[in-house]
Amino acid sequence: MSRMRIVYTVVIAFALAFPYITPDPDFWVSSGGARALWLGVTALSMSFLNRNLGLMSLGQLFFSGVTGYIVAISSVYHNVKFGTSVPLGIIAGTLSGVIIGYIALKTKGVYFFMLTLAVTLGLYSFANQAQEITHGHTGINSIPSPIIFGIDFAYTKPLYYLFLAIAVILYVVCKFLESTSFGIAIKGVRDNEDRMISMGYRTMPLKMIAFVFSSFIASISGVMGVFYVTNISPDSVGLLRAIDLLVIVVVGGAPYLGGAFVGAVLIAVFEAIIQDFTQYYVAATGILFIVVLMLAPQGLMGITAQIRARRSSKANSS
Amino acid sequence: MANPIDLPPASLLVYRYRYKAEYPGGGVSMTQFIFTFLNGITLAGLYFLVASGLTLIFGLMRVINLAHGAFYLLAGYVSWTIADKTDNWFYGALAGSLTLGVFGTLVYVLLLRKFQYEELRVALITLGVSLVLAQAMLAIFGGEYYQTNIPKNLSKSVPIPGFELSYPFFRIFVLILAILVAVGLWIFISKTRYGAIIRAGVDDTSMVSALGINVQAVFIWIFFLGSVLVGFAGAVGATTNSFGMGTDGDYLLFSLQVVIIGGLGSIGGVAIGSFLVGVIGQFATGYFPTYAGIITFTMLILVLAFRPQGILGRKQ
Repeated sequence: MSRMRIVYTVVIAFALAFPYITPDPDFWVSSGGARALWLGVTALSMSFLNRNLGLMSLGQLFFSGVTGYIVAISSVYHNVKFGTSVPLGIIAGTLSGVIIGYIALKTKGVYFFMLTLAVTLGLYSFANQAQEITHGHTGINSIPSPIIFGIDFAYTKPLYYLFLAIAVILYVVCKFLESTSFGIAIKGVRDNEDRMISMGYRTMPLKMIAFVFSSFIASISGVMGVFYVTNISPDSVGLLRAIDLLVIVVVGGAPYLGGAFVGAVLIAVFEAIIQDFTQYYVAATGILFIVVLMLAPQGLMGITAQIRARRSSKANSS
Repeated sequence: MANPIDLPPASLLVYRYRYKAEYPGGGVSMTQFIFTFLNGITLAGLYFLVASGLTLIFGLMRVINLAHGAFYLLAGYVSWTIADKTDNWFYGALAGSLTLGVFGTLVYVLLLRKFQYEELRVALITLGVSLVLAQAMLAIFGGEYYQTNIPKNLSKSVPIPGFELSYPFFRIFVLILAILVAVGLWIFISKTRYGAIIRAGVDDTSMVSALGINVQAVFIWIFFLGSVLVGFAGAVGATTNSFGMGTDGDYLLFSLQVVIIGGLGSIGGVAIGSFLVGVIGQFATGYFPTYAGIITFTMLILVLAFRPQGILGRKQ
């Protein structure tokens, strides 16, 4: 465990110092750091579900989209203060997780994946059509930045540290939840639901709690998205964004909580760099995604474990 | 993140039929009702063509192809290009179907076959394929919208009996095609020897191989057939609706809605799903344009609340 402590210390120290040690801070603190933290938190909500329930959900964009739209609409068109609109948005996003979870958790595996993809694409198509509410394709622009205790989060550094704090807190809460008896029970459901049922557990409430908690994380990332991008449009919940998130989770390592942030940093850096070389960086990301899926399905975090497993299986066979 | 692909409003997908008051007989509301219904069932025909390939491949091989929308769009571009060059709609449709058949088979053999029994991994790989395809198509064809011309001998209107109205024949033709494909698929799978081999190969691969049948070849043919179907659907859809970037996501959504509601893997389920999504979607768009998405969505949630496996789906 002490080795993990060293890793955590190094990562946190690097993240804290990052705005001061990076070259070209104007670009990298925003396009690298803050963006990776925002996407990382959305990916964290997917990883949490994948790790503890064995389910891959694309519905996370639905929850962050619902939250994002509520915050954007209420603060831009109804002059609602962030102090009200942000909690309201997070509550609405989390509650929508109750409804979607109740339906989606009846399915498993690839059905669950397809259903949650359809849910997100459904929000995309609604956001496009409902011009009166969402302003359709153009979306809602120039969302103001929050000012908390006199700190203006329109600047990149305060925003970066705010995102860092959110990410660390959510990561710790996830880790804590996994260590509780709830966390152990939910892993039991993942591994063998029938056995848990025959042991007397009611599995649906357990699954619901995990799902709703992940939609809560996704809702928070919806707020982060609104503050980072300062606009929201149907593309924020579109197919491409959904695939982007999947790429982050899979490349980082879906079975690992930290994989969400490893993937987010990697993809943010990869896209920021490759944009200079080719305009087809989306295709490049897609190819990277396919290669990782074919060669290292456990992602970057899982590569050492994969190599070790291959070595030991070779040693066994010879 | 600046999204490189600028998606068009989904309302572009709606059949834009002007219900003019000059149509005598029935009045405006009756006319609107009739046209909305006809648009709905002919659109259901198109949805059936699109989703049948998806459900065929899944039903027989447990492989879900989420590049389905991108395949549809690619077929649209190929068939439009060929139809434009040769001035013959049927050559375009043929080229679209065959190109997709070959392309789909290549994707299966090169990328998916190795992981065929890992459903989720395959689904993820096909999403990656759709990402690459989307950008490749944007690079080649740009952001404009296209629509293939209706073949001359089919571009006429048919009168609607009982009303002094007429409706474009090509849309009816799409519905007829869908019914023909449905009947053909059903006969092929449940009545022929090949269908029996396919069904047996899915249930017990090793037993069928032991009988001397090359199951790998059977799977390749299924994937070819499923891809030809989506290729054909792309060619037809490119004629009834305009298409361009973003069309892939829209049709992926329609296909998913259709198979989730109808039940994945069942041809009959696709027929029911297409009918519901097509007709209810058109009425929702015609009468409550702002909330059309929510209405279709609510239908999907309601069906799943009572039958998680879809209306005709087998229990998982």
